[in-house]
Amino acid sequence: MQPENFYYDNKIVRNFGIATVVWGIIGMTVGLIIAIQLYHPGMNMGNQYTTYGRIRPLHTNAVIFAFVGNAIFMGVYYSLQRLLKARMFSDLLSKIHFWGWQLIIVSAVITLPLGITTSHEYAELEWPIDIAITLIWVVFGINMFGTIFKRRERHLYVAIWFYIATFITIAVLHVVNSFELPVSFLKSYMVYAGVQDALVQWWYGHNAVAFFLTTPYLGLMYYFLPKMANRPIYSYKLSILHFWALIFIYIWAGPHHLLYTTLPGWAQSLGVAFSVMLIAPSWGGMINGLLTLRGAWDKVRDNVILKFMVVALTAYGMATFEGPMLSLKQVNGIAHFSDWIIAHVHVGALGWNGFLTFGILYWLIPRIYRTDLYSKKMASFHFWIGTLGILFYAIPMYWAGFTQSLMLKEFTPEGMLKYPNFLETTLQILPMHIMRSIGGGMYLLGVIVMAYNLTRTALQGKLVADEAAQAMPLAPVQTIARENKWHRRLERKPIQMLVISLLVILVGTFVELMPTLTISSNIPTIAAVKPYTPLELQGRDLYIREGCVGCHSQTIRPFRSETERYGEYSKAGEFVYDHPFLWGSKRTGPDLAREGQKYGNAWHYNHLMDPRLMSPGSIMPNYDWLITQTLDTSLTGAKIAAMRKLGVPYPAGYENKANKDLDKQAREIADNLSKDHIKVKSDKEIIAIIAYLQRLGTDIKVSKTANK
Amino acid sequence: MNIIYFLIGCSVLLALGFLGAFFWAQRSGQNDDLYTPSIRILLDDEQEKDEEK
Amino acid sequence: MAETATILKTTCYHCGDECLTDDFITDERKFCCKGCMSVYQILAGSSLCNYYSYNDHPGATHKDHDKRFDYLSDPTIAGQLLDYTDERISLITFYVPQIHCSSCLWLLEQLNKLNPGIHYSRVDFLKKQLAVRFDHHQIGLQKVVELLYDIGYEPLISLQDVVKERSRSGNSKLIQKIAVAGFCFGNVMLLSFPEYFGLSVSEASFRRFFGYINLLFTIPSVFYCAWGYFDSAWKNLKNKVLHIDFPLALGIAVLFVRTAAEVLTHRGAGFADTLCGLVFFLLLGKFIQQKTYHHISFERDYRSFFPVAVQIIMDGAEKPIPLADLTTGHRMVIRHNEIIPADAVLLKGEALIDFSFVTGEAMPVDKSPGEIVYAGGRQMAGVIHLEVVKPVSQSYLTQLWNNDTFKSENESRIKTFSEKVTRYFTIILLIIAFGTFFFHLPDLNEAVAAFTSVLIVACPCALALSTPFTMSAVLGIFDRNHFYLKNTAVVEQLANIDAVVMDKTGTITTGTNKNIRLNGDLSAEQKKLIFSACVNSNHPLSRMICDYLNLTDRLPVAEYKETPGEGISACVAGHDVRIGSDKMIFGDLDGHNPGTRVHLMIDGHYLGNFSFGHHYREGLKEIISMPGYLFHLLSGDHNHEYTELANIFGSGCMHFNQSPQQKLDFIKKLQEEGNKVLMLGDGLNDSGALRQSDIGIAVTDNVNNFSPGSDAILDGRSFSKLPGFIRFSKDTVNIVRLSFLISLVYNIVGLSFAMTGRLSPLVAAVLMPVSTVTIITFTTVATHFTSRKRQLL
Repeated sequence: MQPENFYYDNKIVRNFGIATVVWGIIGMTVGLIIAIQLYHPGMNMGNQYTTYGRIRPLHTNAVIFAFVGNAIFMGVYYSLQRLLKARMFSDLLSKIHFWGWQLIIVSAVITLPLGITTSHEYAELEWPIDIAITLIWVVFGINMFGTIFKRRERHLYVAIWFYIATFITIAVLHVVNSFELPVSFLKSYMVYAGVQDALVQWWYGHNAVAFFLTTPYLGLMYYFLPKMANRPIYSYKLSILHFWALIFIYIWAGPHHLLYTTLPGWAQSLGVAFSVMLIAPSWGGMINGLLTLRGAWDKVRDNVILKFMVVALTAYGMATFEGPMLSLKQVNGIAHFSDWIIAHVHVGALGWNGFLTFGILYWLIPRIYRTDLYSKKMASFHFWIGTLGILFYAIPMYWAGFTQSLMLKEFTPEGMLKYPNFLETTLQILPMHIMRSIGGGMYLLGVIVMAYNLTRTALQGKLVADEAAQAMPLAPVQTIARENKWHRRLERKPIQMLVISLLVILVGTFVELMPTLTISSNIPTIAAVKPYTPLELQGRDLYIREGCVGCHSQTIRPFRSETERYGEYSKAGEFVYDHPFLWGSKRTGPDLAREGQKYGNAWHYNHLMDPRLMSPGSIMPNYDWLITQTLDTSLTGAKIAAMRKLGVPYPAGYENKANKDLDKQAREIADNLSKDHIKVKSDKEIIAIIAYLQRLGTDIKVSKTANK
Repeated sequence: MNIIYFLIGCSVLLALGFLGAFFWAQRSGQNDDLYTPSIRILLDDEQEKDEEK
Repeated sequence: MAETATILKTTCYHCGDECLTDDFITDERKFCCKGCMSVYQILAGSSLCNYYSYNDHPGATHKDHDKRFDYLSDPTIAGQLLDYTDERISLITFYVPQIHCSSCLWLLEQLNKLNPGIHYSRVDFLKKQLAVRFDHHQIGLQKVVELLYDIGYEPLISLQDVVKERSRSGNSKLIQKIAVAGFCFGNVMLLSFPEYFGLSVSEASFRRFFGYINLLFTIPSVFYCAWGYFDSAWKNLKNKVLHIDFPLALGIAVLFVRTAAEVLTHRGAGFADTLCGLVFFLLLGKFIQQKTYHHISFERDYRSFFPVAVQIIMDGAEKPIPLADLTTGHRMVIRHNEIIPADAVLLKGEALIDFSFVTGEAMPVDKSPGEIVYAGGRQMAGVIHLEVVKPVSQSYLTQLWNNDTFKSENESRIKTFSEKVTRYFTIILLIIAFGTFFFHLPDLNEAVAAFTSVLIVACPCALALSTPFTMSAVLGIFDRNHFYLKNTAVVEQLANIDAVVMDKTGTITTGTNKNIRLNGDLSAEQKKLIFSACVNSNHPLSRMICDYLNLTDRLPVAEYKETPGEGISACVAGHDVRIGSDKMIFGDLDGHNPGTRVHLMIDGHYLGNFSFGHHYREGLKEIISMPGYLFHLLSGDHNHEYTELANIFGSGCMHFNQSPQQKLDFIKKLQEEGNKVLMLGDGLNDSGALRQSDIGIAVTDNVNNFSPGSDAILDGRSFSKLPGFIRFSKDTVNIVRLSFLISLVYNIVGLSFAMTGRLSPLVAAVLMPVSTVTIITFTTVATHFTSRKRQLL
């Protein structure tokens, strides 16, 4: 029998590599811009399309799905072929996958600044794009399993298991979290409401982190680190063990993102418990990686690539240790909603994902171009400035988060809030925000240097688009069980496995889905809670469009410091009509759950026109375009109808009268404003958003505290 | 909170899927030799020989 | 003065040995011998020189000796070795001791490049196994083996195949069970959390939902994972023994029934979490307990020492026959480095027999025609012809295996401590359980509740785990000290022994004689002469002399003549050099001076001799001086070291000229006197004794080498640690006892809850893991601590 000759597809690897670098730079630049906006709002260039609320999702999507996403595909397409001794299943699918993915990102770059968003964190893209993502993901899956199917190496190296886990889990998560009811081509409502929506979102949100930013990267680490150090992984057994452990535990950790919310207490504790358990398997990976380099530290000293890997693993270790700590209720009470979380995620993102990606790029590009790295000096410059960047980023943010939440919780001896005005605390931490943006800038600079370095490398070499390789075809396993002779068993194919498990999941999903969507939810309903009026509903959609949720939470935790400041803590029953929920995850500004009726309409009008008129020093951008732009009421009917479909009790046929009610309420507000000598037409967007703001939290009129 | 039924359902099914995967791996002898593969990946095909320093 | 050709020390490109000559050079690469060079040439020939790029000197030294694999072409023999075969494809798994680095791996998986007839070859690095699939129309089994031989990876082929496939299946079943148990455990924990943290009234529907799902999860965990316990419990009951599995099975069953009852009647949450946790931990313990060494076999008998086939001369022609067919009267042809499989009479040729397998004696003995050569010896000189006088199974060495000690698969182990304890434990448990039942009787519900809770709480999970966890920890420490135990039970036996019996050669003496003494003094010149002569010889003694002299300069040698069993004569730089036995130097005065002296004569002047004294392993004295143990020395050979040994052992307890059977009987005798005997041996001739003794330890200098079947294998390097090992094993037993005590305390605490009949699931769910965890931590910490105390860490 002759060995088969075949070629590894390096072109697709190269393409994903380029995409990684390009999107990386774009995503990080956007990140830098919004970082600056956090102390210099003018950085939005007085233009709604580049305002924090709208481009913060752009930043997260760009770095997670464009930068990291492309990096994953680059690494997978490189390692998978070599681990399985086979070219990718289909070049066509590879191409479709590549261009499809870039198209999705481009569409995100277009829609998000336009304010087209579902406001689900890390899942902001609207339903048509969600469908596109699903399709492309399936393409990727077919391509991967096809390759596994026609592999020439029987053993599936642990990295591949991580890839498989990533694929299946992300598929399920994405589908579950994307149940939306379209209203128009670019507008939809989440089918779940309030608490339930929140739970789904964070079940997704956490696992997106787990299975998009962690498992695939562990897989890459398990392939590239041994190759870079040219020594086998410290313990292969451990790697297998910690894979299965990770897989079985990770999925449950979601609820810790909702501590102190109206999620049932036991569900929160559950999230905490499993998050804490996660330390073990996570550290399994880190320790395994670091121990691989034991006795090779001399190598590390003069090999910048390994340096990147070491920092990446350390950052991973820190992040995975901090995560469970943050999920402890006491710690969470302080850290949640604060900059601390930003620091936490960026240690992971910049350190673990970023540096691992850079390491791989530096190792891989020269290889597929059959040359040496253009400049080792630049690479190590990148390493140092990057590392410094991370420090300059993380430390101030930890500091800021800690300071601010302590200030917010501080009481005077008389039992009054020490800093009743949220803004005071914000102004305190602006210096940290400035330093943070410097750190980010350094990191970005490093990436730009890398881009140049890699380009020169590519130019001095020549791409080996198809790399020749040779391997024996995989023949069926024959075995004889010692007792019964000559009995022959053909190996079962992983593809069947995939089909079965996916089938099971889908069937289960729908079996489970039916009751959830039909049975009335058993959240204690509050009679006082009424559906939003058409105007408020429109206002809410503006609130979503402008991404206000990026800075303002809408859930008051049962702490004295918060009930004093914002009013009665939130009840699950208040959110039953919130499709989607708008609890938010960060308080750059104060919570708005009980904003309704706190201030007059005029106050809101002026504040939105120029926040600094009302609260000097505020870092909120001007929303003057709300005053000039006319509210689009063409969809009001459709929206009402959609909401009714989702169980909001609007009377039948109300969608036809909706706009009449809308105009009526709008005029009332306009008149009210004119009393304060504010002349504004009642069909402007600002009217709607004021209507919504004045409604917030007014359903249950408990204590009038917090009003000063 | 019916959503919890749904999520738990999904998660359990997912976990079941992975359990199945584990069985497949165990049955098809994927875990018979948990050392050699870690060395094997270091040995490349003819083309990229002795690039390691 | 004769010119001297100097060579600087160079190492072989292939194997890294020192090159004594520079005769072997290709592509300006130096090799130590023709073998190494030929390997290189083969690899270079098919462009496989990457082999050398992954590691330097990856090869094993490949000194030349002619290969005889043609017996493999015999279909019956091949049939015994192949894993699988059909009309085209054959599959075989070899044991290849040389596998040691990534180069080996790389090369052995490239066999196809050397011969397209081989479709696929795969290495298992730890087991040192090579699986090959080949097309037997293109390349026969013999060719495959020869190919491996040619590239320096000669597989070890013996009748009792060293390749161990068996252990796998059972083990992977267990792993699967553990996976399922773990899966169920994890999910049940998840779904039990709501109970722990309390559900509000509005969420009552969840309680049921979770209850049902929990119940679902317990089903596989009980009926698949834990089935083994019911099984063995039932078996044990049938043969009227109370094994620990009985209370375990009982506990599991009760847990399940009660959980089911509570969940289905909505009376409570049940004990699903406890149940699944219990099963998971138990299986984990089971897994920990079964440790397997891939690279050593404890079950060897003579068949693994002997060749698969022998060459015999039948009607003038040489042909291979399977060993089994070898009978009296056959005329065997034994070549250099082959083993003599049956007692036979030497017919022709010079026999220089190395009996190290049998006795551990490294020094080859020479036999002259007419003498009887016992089976197990390895021929070191050229070709010899022998006539079989006894069939393999009857011969001096192998008759041991017909002895009843070997016939009966004696698993009549001494009852381990845990077995003894659990017997009583179970009885008491049942008494208490029924006691509480009747105590609560009027109220039946109460009674049942109390009864079941007692059985649940008292379920001896910790009890069942303490032994495996301790023992596995101990095994780990032992093999870090190169002391490999067959299984955990051995530890306890080691603790119980009170008599130690040692074999002499190879056991208390190192296999290779280190201390070689020169009697008489030589000038540098003379040394040079002798060295130059000896370098040319492969005889172990000559090699030792060379190492001893340790020179590099060599003088031109002429008329070199080596007479096996006598010595070397040569003309070195014009001098007549004679090196050899008494026979050679003084003619045949007295025959039977054991060949441990080599005399030197240059130009007719006698210059003295080299003598090779025995070298005892260090620490021997300390071991003997251990208080409270009897020590005996059993030696196969004659007593010419009597005096040296007497002042170690004391004359009373030394026994020389012992045949294997005698050794075995001696052990028997000691045991009949009520001693628990530890036997230390190394050679095949000790196998009987090793098997008979309560614990037999094979001492070897190379674990991958052959060592007779035994309960444990001790690496010579750690011989001196033996007292430590014994003391440590005693400590271990105490640790186990203590841990039992602890778990009993837990049980009592639990019982105090249970007997009232009010056992909340939470208490059970907490108690079970807590007790288990304490036990595990205690045992691991304690073992670690004591092992430090005994300097084993």
